[in-house]
This record gives sequence, structure tokens and C-alpha cells, in this order.
Amino acid sequence: MTRALIAEDEPILAATLAKTLLGLWPELEIVATAPNGLAAVEQGLALRPDILFLDIRMPGQTGLEAAEELAERWEGPQPFPHIVFVTAFDDYAVEAFERAAVDYVLKPVSSGRLGRTVERLRGLVNAQRAPAVDVAGAESLGQLLGQLQALLPAAVATERLSVVRAAVGNVVRMIPVADVVYFQAVDKYVNVVTAESEALIRMPLKDLLPQLDPAQFRQVSRSMVVNMACVASAGRDELGKVTLNLRGRTDKPRVSPVYAHLFRQM
Amino acid sequence: MSSLTLPIHTRRLSRSRRLLADLPLSIGISALLAVFIGLVSGRFLENLLVSIMIGTISFTVVNGGRLLFWDRPDWGVREWAPFMALAVVAAPVAHFCGLYLAGLLLGIRTPTLAEYPTVERVSMVLFTLLGTTLMVMLVMNRERIRRVEEEHAQARLRAEIVERQALQSQLRLLQAQIEPHMLFNTLANLQGLIALDPGRASEMLDQLIQYLRATLSVSRSETTTLEQEFGAMQAYLGLMGVRMGERLAYRLELPPELRAARLPTMLLQPLVENAIVHGLEPKVDGGEVVVTAIARSDSLEIEVRDSGLGLGQRPSRRGGGGVGVSTTRERLEVLYGARAAITLSPAEPQGTLARLTLPLRMTA
Repeated sequence: MTRALIAEDEPILAATLAKTLLGLWPELEIVATAPNGLAAVEQGLALRPDILFLDIRMPGQTGLEAAEELAERWEGPQPFPHIVFVTAFDDYAVEAFERAAVDYVLKPVSSGRLGRTVERLRGLVNAQRAPAVDVAGAESLGQLLGQLQALLPAAVATERLSVVRAAVGNVVRMIPVADVVYFQAVDKYVNVVTAESEALIRMPLKDLLPQLDPAQFRQVSRSMVVNMACVASAGRDELGKVTLNLRGRTDKPRVSPVYAHLFRQM
Repeated sequence: MSSLTLPIHTRRLSRSRRLLADLPLSIGISALLAVFIGLVSGRFLENLLVSIMIGTISFTVVNGGRLLFWDRPDWGVREWAPFMALAVVAAPVAHFCGLYLAGLLLGIRTPTLAEYPTVERVSMVLFTLLGTTLMVMLVMNRERIRRVEEEHAQARLRAEIVERQALQSQLRLLQAQIEPHMLFNTLANLQGLIALDPGRASEMLDQLIQYLRATLSVSRSETTTLEQEFGAMQAYLGLMGVRMGERLAYRLELPPELRAARLPTMLLQPLVENAIVHGLEPKVDGGEVVVTAIARSDSLEIEVRDSGLGLGQRPSRRGGGGVGVSTTRERLEVLYGARAAITLSPAEPQGTLARLTLPLRMTA
């Protein structure tokens, strides 16, 4: 039995998608309907569906963000679910999907278009039942998500930051950005970590990211942005988890599967 | 406008091409003059050849000089004086050379330079001068007419472009009013309801029609009544209520005496849409939006209060927050100056309060 989870904030659309899907694919079991992006992740992790229909615009977090978080937190032997994005008219998103070759359906959903998606999904699910399992599922999803995030309109890039000003007690420390090994999100703060020290700044990681040079600083998980010049090596354990060895640091931060492709051999 | 490229190249012809293009005219006029001379003196064909020879040489020299040295519109003394000097010099030379050439061709003897100073010959030279000047003036006139036509064509083209741009901006305005995302999501809900609950589907369709009618008629009228505006917002919130289900509650309060109050179109809508799109839609639990109108002495106060994500909590990814408000603010400034205002402030205990103040005007 193939199991699917629908994440859609508008109840009528969720019900309609479920109904149309069942009409096209009677053996499909719809295990739950998540009303927002946060619930999509929690229910995805709890129910382990084979297929995930994700609305893009949802309260809490977007479908793209939910897919990213789910990929990061997905553990165990079961393969990562196949994701189909669902969106109403969003010319930029559709363009992004076309370019990244991600499966998506447009709202209002036409049953013809959904039928093609169902055919494709059936093929994928059957292929996975066979012994050879596509291990790199989450990783290839990561690459696609990376492309999508880059294509979607992000916060407007402000001026490049050259020095981080961090208050430590009564002193404001001036930390050159080039000295930073990594930035780590801690609630609404960001921990600025250099080889010698750490300091907190009061700013969400999301707002800091556009001010950094994307060629030098790369996101390696939802909560961490690393200075690529400080990465000495990347190790991969038997489960395929990637960890980083950083120059001047002893801690070994873990790389989300979504970003693991950044550290594969050339 | 300076960046417009206009597809008109007729003035780009080279000087030599223009000189050649003007030649038939000079030959024609020379022939006409020859007819005149022939009528006076007889010997028609001989005169025709002589006249064309003289005319062509004289015209080519003088018109060539004009194109070389004074090729510009609107002549003053600086152009006319040297031009006339050239014509005065060119006329006798052209007369002599033309006559000599024609003589060679026809095999007849022509007068030598020493035989020139007679009244008859001098008057023929003067005739040549007059004819040449006439030809050049005709050519110049022709050029002037062409130039005016070109300018007209360019002006027409420019006007067309301006008109198209105005239309485009109007269309953009219309597009901005009905966000495609909203429209397609609403249609998706309608599509779903038709199968699930036809009664509610038809109700929702009514609301969509009312909302579209109110929004699309904006381009046609400048002002509307508060009753109509509240009706449109009722329809919009009804649509959003179907879509968001239990996540949206709403209330509209319009005192009966304010129903006929007049206000510019599209003032209220951006505020209500902001409350939904930036306040309540992105909030996991949703909330309530309340729209009220009150009269305060001679001003009208409209409030849109939502309990959604406050001004600081909105996800930056969505963007566009406040674009509708700033446009509305600009329009108010143009329409009422300091007598109107729009303020955004945090609502208690949470959410956003948008307040619109403008002079109270009732329908006559």
C-alpha cells in the first residue's frame, strides 16, 4: 500500500486534492492532511509517507522550507518521500519548477495533469520496491531545493557585511567577516564563531545570510552557514551522514543531506 | 523619450545620392525654360539641348555647393549671402560651358569669351542665374516639406508609444488589484466546492462576481460610496472565509448614516487585503479582521484591525508588504493634501491597526 500525506492550508483544496487523487489511484492511502508547513514536517516524520504533496504558500513555513527541514530531520532506512509541489498561479515558482525539473501541479488541479503525476509516482514507487533503492533521494532533492531557493524571490540583497559588530559585555567587538569560521542560529540570535572566540549577535540567520558573500559563505544546514575557506575536509560515515572538519576548530558540525552535494568529490 | 528609436531613415541619404535625386527636377525646369526661350526665338530642339546643358551644369554646381557647405534647414543671411555669391559666379561659367558642350554635340560654332559682353548674352546669363536659383529653392522647399512630414510621423509614433505605455500602466494597475494567486486559489476552491457542496459553490461564485465587479470597475469611476466599498469587502472576506475556513473570522461595521459617504475607489481594499495576506494568512492559527467606519465632526475614519502577525513578524520572503499602503498614501496626498492620512500601528493585544482619515463628503 502506498501512503501519501497532503500539506495544504485551505481545507476545501485539501479535500478536493484527496478526492481527485483517490479517484485516479484507488489503492493510495492518504494518511493525513497537514494544515500548515510546521505540521507537514511533524506529521511527515511521524507517519513516514511514501509521497508528500506540499503546497508552496502555507502559514508557519513554506512548502519549500518544510521539504528542507524534513530532509534534514529524516532518519532511518526508509527512503525519503517523493515530493510533489502544489501551487496556484506563481509565475516565478512555475518557472523555477520547470528549470529544476521538480514535479509540481497547478491549482486549480486538472485531473488530466494530476493523472500524469500519478502515473509517474506509481512508476517511482514500484521501482523503489525493487531491491536497488535510490539512496541519494534526499541528496538530489537537496540540489533541487537549492536551485529553487535561489530562483524564488529572496529577501533583497543588502550591502555586503565586512565586519561583524558583536557586543560582549560592555565592549563591542569588531570581527572581520573573513575571520568567521561559521555562523550558527540560536533562536533569534546568531553565534559568530571564529578560531579563537564566539560571540552572539541579535539577528536571525535568515536576515544575515543575504549580507554575506555567497561564494564564500554557504549554508550547510538550516541553522549553520560556514566559511568555505575554513573547511579542511568533509567526512562521510557509514550511514552517509556528512560532517565537517574546520580549520582552527575541534567541533565537527553536521551537514544536512540537503546540502551534502556541496562536499562531494569533483 | 530620448531613448526611443524611430524607424525613419530618409534623411540619412548621402549628399551625392541627394544631388542625383535632385537632377531630374533641374532637367525638367531647364526644359520648361527652353520651351519659353523657344517660343520667343524659334529653333526649339537646339534651345532645348542648350538649356538642359546649361541648367544641369549650373544646378549641379550650385546645389552641390549648398549640400556641401550649407546643408541645414532655416537659412539666414550667413547662408543666403555666400549661396547667392556662388550662384552669381556659377551662372556665367555654366552658361559658357553648357553652350560650348552643346555646340560640340550639335557641331555648331559657339561664341568665344570675347564675344560675350552683349546685352543679349548678359541677359541670358541673368536668366540662367534666375532659373538656377529657382531650381535650388524648389529643391529646398521639397526638402522642407519632407522634413515636416517626417516630424509629423515621428510625433505620431511618439504619441502612439505614450498611449501604449499609459494603457500598459492601467493594465498593470488592474493586475495588481486582483492578484493572480488570489484568483486562481479562489477558482480552485470553487472547483472543489462544485463537487463537494454545490450550494456553497454557487454562493461563493456570487461573492466572486461581486468582488470582481467592484474591483474591475475602478478604472471607470473616480469615487464610490462607503456602502459599495463595504459590500465589495464583504464579498472579498466571504471568499477568503471559504478558503481559510475556521482560520478566518471577520466583522464589518458600517453605521447606516455613513452608507452614502463618498470616497475614492480602491482605498479600503489594499488595507483589507494587507490584513489578510500579510497578517492572517501566514499565521498558523489565523484570527479576526474587523472593518469599521466612524464620522468624527467633518472627517471620516475607517479602521481595519487584524489579530494576525504584527508589522515586525511578517516573513520577509513574502515581500510586497506596504506597497499597497504606500500607493494609497500617495493617492491621498494628491487628492486631499494634509487633510487625509493613513497610519499603521500595532494592534492590542496583537496584530495590526490601519487607520484611514479623510474629509467626510456625502452623496448629494
